[in-house]
Amino acid sequence: MSGAGSDSVRPTTVGETWMRFWFTPAPLRPLAVARILTGVLGLLLAWSYADDLLAWFGPDGMIPRDVAAAWRPRWGTSLYDAAVTSASVTALFVATLLAFSCLVVGFCSRLAAVAAAVLWASLLHRGPMLAGPADDCLAVLLWCLAAGPCGGDLSLDRLLAARGGRVPPATSPWAGIPVGLLRVHASAITVAALLAQLKGDAWWNGTAAWWLASRAEAIDLRGAYQGSEYLMNLVTHAIVAFEILFAAGIWFMPTRRTVARIALVAWPVIGLLAGEPLWGLAMAIFTVPLADLT
Amino acid sequence: MPRRQLANENGIGCGAACQRERLPTRETVRAAVGFPRHWRLTRLPITLRRMSRDTRADEGLKRTDEPREAVRAGATVALVAYLIGLVLAIATNSLSGPSALFGTVKSRIFSPLLAPAWLDLGYDHRFSYGLDEDADHEIELVPHESEGEPLHLPGPIAGERAARWRRLARTIAVGGLDGDGSTVAAGVGRGGFAGLGTADVDLRVFRLPQPDRTAAADADAAVQVYAARVRRVADDVQLIREAPRGEVAPLVRPQPRAAAEDAP
Repeated sequence: MSGAGSDSVRPTTVGETWMRFWFTPAPLRPLAVARILTGVLGLLLAWSYADDLLAWFGPDGMIPRDVAAAWRPRWGTSLYDAAVTSASVTALFVATLLAFSCLVVGFCSRLAAVAAAVLWASLLHRGPMLAGPADDCLAVLLWCLAAGPCGGDLSLDRLLAARGGRVPPATSPWAGIPVGLLRVHASAITVAALLAQLKGDAWWNGTAAWWLASRAEAIDLRGAYQGSEYLMNLVTHAIVAFEILFAAGIWFMPTRRTVARIALVAWPVIGLLAGEPLWGLAMAIFTVPLADLT
Repeated sequence: MPRRQLANENGIGCGAACQRERLPTRETVRAAVGFPRHWRLTRLPITLRRMSRDTRADEGLKRTDEPREAVRAGATVALVAYLIGLVLAIATNSLSGPSALFGTVKSRIFSPLLAPAWLDLGYDHRFSYGLDEDADHEIELVPHESEGEPLHLPGPIAGERAARWRRLARTIAVGGLDGDGSTVAAGVGRGGFAGLGTADVDLRVFRLPQPDRTAAADADAAVQVYAARVRRVADDVQLIREAPRGEVAPLVRPQPRAAAEDAP
């Protein structure tokens, strides 16, 4: 795979490395796969709001606008602040679902990515206390996709262009930016999560797996952990070890592809163990363009 | 001299390949520019052009697809700025607060750009330290001083929808950096008026048991960690919080006079 990591020619300066990392033409297929998966993830996460949307954000909802405004960051803002009726709240939410659907099928992909990113950020700012790790990752994924030609392959956009007699190229010099951003964020999020985890004793004394299994959404392996303390310790330390391996391994050519392919399985498994399955899926999406699956 | 010609002067990929593409060779460029033969231009930012042309030849890209230098420069500035913002967002995400330097730089320059996009994040996905606040929380709403059916949130639902209710409950119980969750509790209580058919409700937040591995069989019942009465008075919503037991001043019983006098 080229782009954000083509190794056909070894760069000799920082400037060359930078230009090569971000601006080398890259194939569009991996970005398209990431786009489709991000759209599916967006639909799943947005759907978790659907049943309670008006109970939370309606005119007499549980999270009034002034309360949300007090809890969000200083510069945070939301389109939902202008939605004072149930119909307008619902309309904005439907628009969010439509944007994610457009991402899945690849219709007006770039515009859909921008719209989805704006609408998703608005939804999160409307109820910041409801947002979780997967929501954070989805916001990042959307902005990464918006930064490049995410609809150049596996998309209606490509189909329509081909029918119009304009067969889009299979690579783009602008595909390197979103792929590079995905790699940077995959590493940065992993490092930040790792640092946060290692501030707690549970991640050092090997009991974190037990506490994770106690969470309602996690796979309950407490029976197995009660049978073997070593197993509990092993799972805890394996999560930390994988995060270290991943954060560093995706930056070295000899290990990048292998680590990314392992991560495609490992992140969802960690998500299930941690009770955050959609976060695991989001982290796996970050690694799709690095795994050279196509 | 156009930059493309200078790029070929770098000497990489020139020769037969350049002649095939009718691009200037090293010698023609030197002659046109007047560079001495011993000059080397390897530090010019031309690697991208070189690699782009190679890739273009491989992939069939057109020359017009290559981003212009000015566009790449603009993108580079944006990327550098964003990456600095990303690092600062992570570096300033500390429970004890950011350093004055990082906090000031981030809040004045980067937060106005990152926060609206939900990118001003610390990504501190620690999941659990095994602390009480890491346990699952649930909300119970019940009509005040009546036998009405309580409303449990999230109740029997599961998945991400239930996780959002638990985050809401945890916010009420634990609060945020700037205070407790009473403002959120007032909103949740008010939102429960319609569902319970009353404008006077008791709101409670329970922390679900999180037994230690060695005492898993002796799991305690859920612990009430927040309680308040939420009612509508005129057009206002009023929250009367039930003080946590630990915050109530201890009741000191006066000792009998005789006993007090006998005491040493």
